[in-house]
Amino acid sequence: MKDIKKFIKNTLLFIPFTVSMYIIFILFFGQVLPQFLKPNVNYRIGSYGHMYSRIKEIKKFKNIDLLFLGSSHSYRGFDTRIFEKYGCKSFNLGSSGQTPIQTEVLLDRYLDSLNPKIVVFEVSPMLFSSDGVESSLDLIANDKNDLLTVTKLIKWNNIKTINTAIIGFWRDYMGLNADFVEEKKKGNDYYVSGGFVEKKLKFYKPEPIDKHEINIKDDQFKAFKNCINKIKKRNIKLILVQVPITKNLYNSYTNTQYFDDSISKYGNYYNFNKLLNVQDTIHFSDSHHLNQLGVEFFDKEAVKLLNLKNCKTK
Amino acid sequence: MLFNSIDFAVFLPIVFILYWFVINKNLRWQNFLIVVASYLFYGWWDWRFLSLILFSTLVDYTIGVLLDDEENKTKRKLLLWISILVNLGLLGFFKYYNFFLDNFVNAFSFFGYKINAQGLNIVLPVGISFYTFQTLSYTIDVYKKKLQPTKDFIAFAAFVSFFPQLVAGPIERATHLLPQFLKKRIFDYDKAVDGLRQMLWGFFKKIVIADNAAQLANEIFNNSSNYSGSTLFLGALFFTFQIYGDFSGYSDIAIGTSRLFGFDLKKNFNFPYFSRDIAEFWRRWHISLSTWFRDYLYIPLGGSRGGVWMKIRNTFIIFIVSGFWHGANWTFIFWGLLNAIYFLPLLLLNKNRINTNTIAEGRYFPSVKEFIQMSVTFGLTVLAWVFFRAENINHAFNYLSTIFSRSLFTFPNFPKMGDALKTIILIIIFILIEWFGREEEYAIAKIGNGWNRVYRWVWYSFIIFLIMFYMKTTETPFIYFQF
Repeated sequence: MKDIKKFIKNTLLFIPFTVSMYIIFILFFGQVLPQFLKPNVNYRIGSYGHMYSRIKEIKKFKNIDLLFLGSSHSYRGFDTRIFEKYGCKSFNLGSSGQTPIQTEVLLDRYLDSLNPKIVVFEVSPMLFSSDGVESSLDLIANDKNDLLTVTKLIKWNNIKTINTAIIGFWRDYMGLNADFVEEKKKGNDYYVSGGFVEKKLKFYKPEPIDKHEINIKDDQFKAFKNCINKIKKRNIKLILVQVPITKNLYNSYTNTQYFDDSISKYGNYYNFNKLLNVQDTIHFSDSHHLNQLGVEFFDKEAVKLLNLKNCKTK
Repeated sequence: MLFNSIDFAVFLPIVFILYWFVINKNLRWQNFLIVVASYLFYGWWDWRFLSLILFSTLVDYTIGVLLDDEENKTKRKLLLWISILVNLGLLGFFKYYNFFLDNFVNAFSFFGYKINAQGLNIVLPVGISFYTFQTLSYTIDVYKKKLQPTKDFIAFAAFVSFFPQLVAGPIERATHLLPQFLKKRIFDYDKAVDGLRQMLWGFFKKIVIADNAAQLANEIFNNSSNYSGSTLFLGALFFTFQIYGDFSGYSDIAIGTSRLFGFDLKKNFNFPYFSRDIAEFWRRWHISLSTWFRDYLYIPLGGSRGGVWMKIRNTFIIFIVSGFWHGANWTFIFWGLLNAIYFLPLLLLNKNRINTNTIAEGRYFPSVKEFIQMSVTFGLTVLAWVFFRAENINHAFNYLSTIFSRSLFTFPNFPKMGDALKTIILIIIFILIEWFGREEEYAIAKIGNGWNRVYRWVWYSFIIFLIMFYMKTTETPFIYFQF
């Protein structure tokens, strides 16, 4: 019995010891090793999608008319300048690969301060079938890390997000990102105040895409329903939108009706792939992102179809 | 339940605490807990197949008891054959039925006869090849009067289903493991700590080495027609380390887990890639299976006692059967055959038992001769693994023919070169640790002994860190589950 008590005692002592050592190792190796040698850490501040800039200026936006949520389809699809022309003060809180799981986090953090009249929630089949890890990493590196991050880390239960969050917390605590400045222009992307990212005009060259099925992940759908509840609880008008993608890609999905049926139960749903006649080779920069010609065409039509002129809520 | 899962991380401490704190004073209850825990462990995957384990347990227990009371030679033989037929029958049906049916149909089609026979949609029960061999060893040993049969059904059921080694070995002999269920276990601190250390090393092998190598081996083998000889050779190397890390890692975790409960399992891998010839390799690779075939097949066939032809015949039989044990596919049979061919010169020259010690024993580095021997043996093994991994015989031959083409002398190139570089670095670190620990039970058995506790714990924490730092984000099953 003496031996086993010693064993249990040492095991219980070892656990906090190894957790502490683990954090130290992550902080050291997670920052000094080149990316290919640290597959389970991906801390990239100012990464693709300008999330850092978006979060940095979000405090300036209060009591807005229109809030856009979603993935790159959102921040590359809804040009806040166009909506401004139609009398809507808007903010685009889209981020790369943002799935409903991350949208829920962003709503918890920013919905009250933004206090929008209308939320346009971009829904895309590919996001509902994603695990959302890459987007979580984007949030950890570019947004603040707080208690909500910890609770979400436990829920997400993914080693990559945990390791990256350790570095995120450390850098936030030590103020190591204080001097970081994200350029407005990065490569072909230009960040527009209000969250939109304009891409240098480029045209899509169609390539064959294999037929495939949309699979909605349970955890994504649960997070989606949570987002809907949070928005509706505040009496904010909700519009669910599927931003157009190329016909080439859209027609490769074998069960689009299933997706439409699943989503439309939760609010006013507009699938612009069915409502708008966009041309693959004219309006897109790749298989699922509108180019600036497409954005202008889509946004003007969206204002009309969604009745967003002057952002009336009725 | 997978060792590398959250479920197991919860399951193990619960069973451990119940075993040592709640029912530690009663041996029968401890054995009963092992049976319940083992059935839960197995049923986590598919509870329906628990009936097979129970059936196999009941049959061999009953036959053991009957053999004890029976002196008539014919009746004893009959009982033995019932056990063999039941166990191999189960194995044959679940594992080989479709293989034999397909080959039967193909053979008749070859001669112009068309047979309409539909294969069955059979799910292979995990670990069936392991526990059927383990129970068979019991009946054969009782038949040979090497072992007194047990009347304690719970102890016997625990022996058959012991969860650490139930699904992928080591295949334990009843003479070694069963007596351990019949005597009181006393918690030994050093043994338990050593068990945890061995588990840690097993997890490293599986999660860091095998899973990372697997991703690359899969990419290269699945798209082999797109790549050069040098890339395919790299793919074969990755598979070589995948299978070693995966299977020996499993064995280390199984042995380590057993030690936590006061049991000693037999060593299953003894640094096989540091072998100087193929005979030595087979004394070091999957030892529990090799010795099983030696004792229950090779020796009954006459072993090395007859003339040269008898030895050759028996060697080929044992290697081909061993290959076939791994799976119902010609690739495994060919893999066994190829190893028999490798073995043949050593057998004919009577040199199959010259390397029985550890390479470069007591030295840091091998001699030039030893290094060449080790490299040649390793190279032969790598080529043989191509058959083990390939989808079919054609795939294996095409793969090898590309390796032995001019493109072998080009720089490897495939879409995951960054991952490949990372994995090569990890494998080099792994080989170095294994090399310097090759005289121990497992590579890190002695690292840290004599160090201050803080330094020792930093070392263990570093291994845990490496596991978490390089683990794949999804749980990957062990390869040998499919056998």
